[in-house]
Amino acid sequence: MNSASLLLIVFAIALAGWFLGRRRALAMAGGDARRLHSLSGHHGQAVFLFAAVPALLVMFVWLFVQPIVTEARIGDAIRANGLFRQISPSLVMSDVRRVAHGLDLMVDRGQIDEKGLAALGADGSELRARLGRVGVAVGGNVGGDVLAAARTLRRDNHRGAVGMAVAVVAVALAGLVWSLSRISVEFRARNVSENFVLTLFFGASLVAVLTTIGIVGSLLFETVHFFRIYPARDFFFSFTWSPQFRGGSDLGIWPLLWGTLYVSLVALILAVPVGLMSAIYLSEYASKPLRAVVKPLLEILAGIPTVVYGLFALMTVGPFLRDMIAEPMGLGSSSSSVMTGGLVMGIMLIPFVSSLSDDIIHAVPQGLRDGSFGLGATQSETVRQVILPAALPGIVGAILLAASRAIGETMIVVMGVGAAARMGLNPFEAMTTITVKIVSQLTGDTEFASPETLVAFALAMALFVFTLGLNVVALVVVRKYREQYE
Amino acid sequence: MSDATGLKIAARDVDVFYGDHHAIKDVSVAIADRTVTAFIGPSGCGKSTFLRCLNRMNDTIDVCRVSGTIELDGEDIYDRRVDPVQLRARVGMVFQKPNPFPKSIFDNVAYGPRIHGLTRSRGELDEVVENALRRAALWDEVKDRLSAPGTGLSGGQQQRLCIARAVATAPEVLLMDEPCSALDPIATAQIEELIDELRGNFSVVIVTHSMQQAARVSQRTAFFHLGDLVEFGETGQIFTNPQDPRTESYITGRIG
Repeated sequence: MNSASLLLIVFAIALAGWFLGRRRALAMAGGDARRLHSLSGHHGQAVFLFAAVPALLVMFVWLFVQPIVTEARIGDAIRANGLFRQISPSLVMSDVRRVAHGLDLMVDRGQIDEKGLAALGADGSELRARLGRVGVAVGGNVGGDVLAAARTLRRDNHRGAVGMAVAVVAVALAGLVWSLSRISVEFRARNVSENFVLTLFFGASLVAVLTTIGIVGSLLFETVHFFRIYPARDFFFSFTWSPQFRGGSDLGIWPLLWGTLYVSLVALILAVPVGLMSAIYLSEYASKPLRAVVKPLLEILAGIPTVVYGLFALMTVGPFLRDMIAEPMGLGSSSSSVMTGGLVMGIMLIPFVSSLSDDIIHAVPQGLRDGSFGLGATQSETVRQVILPAALPGIVGAILLAASRAIGETMIVVMGVGAAARMGLNPFEAMTTITVKIVSQLTGDTEFASPETLVAFALAMALFVFTLGLNVVALVVVRKYREQYE
Repeated sequence: MSDATGLKIAARDVDVFYGDHHAIKDVSVAIADRTVTAFIGPSGCGKSTFLRCLNRMNDTIDVCRVSGTIELDGEDIYDRRVDPVQLRARVGMVFQKPNPFPKSIFDNVAYGPRIHGLTRSRGELDEVVENALRRAALWDEVKDRLSAPGTGLSGGQQQRLCIARAVATAPEVLLMDEPCSALDPIATAQIEELIDELRGNFSVVIVTHSMQQAARVSQRTAFFHLGDLVEFGETGQIFTNPQDPRTESYITGRIG
């Protein structure tokens, strides 16, 4: 029995519990639902939950724990066997797993039955070929010990699956019976469903928090690993980035950080004023019908995948800037440049800044506008002296969000800025950013042991700390103005 | 400026439409200088709408249409040549809900003088601000914290700050749209006292829900009902000897 059908069975039991619970509650109230503390639906729901949730939890834990237990047992057996002293146990283990899986497939396709399986000898290449026919590739001929271990693994897995099915169904039925027995006229089934909803919401918010902790944890782990094999001083204070696959790399973060900041700066210099002004136009000057058309258009612009912007940079903006500005002025001959990527990234961020700021400006109370107009202020005086100060905390937030996006942007940089780690002031030169280097260090031949790949984690950590710092600054700025203005 | 009994604002045959809704029907009112004129009437009778016509605040509402003539010192304020921004500097407004700007107390009061360039030096501006705050009976409470945010004041103080802000712009007419409806009785009493003092320099028009307030602060009262101006006259006469049965019903509490 596989997990999917077990799920269906649990669901069926719970559904039956729903109807039984409702019926029982109604029967206890003598058919008069008004006598019940909770609606009959709540009683049904409570039974459903007590039948399904504990059973699913048992199933989840079982699925998680069983492989650990069985593989630990087989691993012990492998280690105890002197034959495998030369090869690492984990490699043998993966062979065992593959063979066991192949045997399962063979049985499933009817190529062999359990009796034939028991008689199967470890006649090397023959078994290997048969496994190959069901799509399982094994590195070498299957030895007798591996086959034996695979048989044990199959048996254990099979027993585990049966055990799990029995346990899960038992728990589901127990939950069903227990919660049915709890039903009475006074039973507060409504509160049960209330608590369940609370738990659900709490769990959902926990997911985000736990994921963040998990991400930071794994980053931290690999970063520490990196700094053990590469000196931190070189990483933080070297101005050279030149990874060598033969070793002896220079992995200084500064050229990348510089590129990141330079490109982001160009992007923000374009996006913030343009976005803010268009937001002011939209929320303060534009007529309602115009706003109704333009705002969704802007939001569509914000939804274009960045790789499309990257194409725009590569095919249009880059060559244009090179031919019209960089080459005539003798500033460079590369179509990938900080200016190209920065401008396109800025274009990408304009709708982002303007849409967020527009919402914020729109939320400024009408009373403030009236008050200013009532004193004989013009519209632009009102905007500059009343609306913008009032909306400032939100606008700062919007700008910092945009900055975070600029710093984390990858596709536009790959296609528009280039891949050359370089520290320079000329915006018409190709440079590169942290994100691009993270990708390029991790793609290709990945063995997580050399500083050349592990540096990606240190870079990611630096990026994380950097954006975190930016958010903290935003928070402080916003709080300061909040105190002053509200 | 005209003398104490002179005509300040003359509205003739004013109609206001919000889209299809006929909010003000053929209203004519003469507002005297250096007098407090109260507009009373049940909710939705158009008194606030009419008030907002007097400084063209309704211009900011797209669907609002105004016809008829409203003259300030004999000049039609809806004339093409009149700049509504300049008009609003002459006809100031205080709103129902206190709406101090997100600035310091000083900057709130200095807002009008600054945008209209009324002062030549910082010293002069300081003087204008102090005078306005004194006029609004707020100076003693805030003189030590002029750089504190205006939004940090209590509701009554905020409303007095808004009055000081309007006064600092040196308007000729002050329109007040239910200035006390968000305030407690003590703050209300302070504002009413203030209104009475302001009468010395301005023409004040106040919209109020409270008939006691109209009786206390105003010399002339206009009663609006369903967009019509039902009755307009001396406050004493409106409250003691109303001519129209609708006015009588309203002030005795039978309608409203």
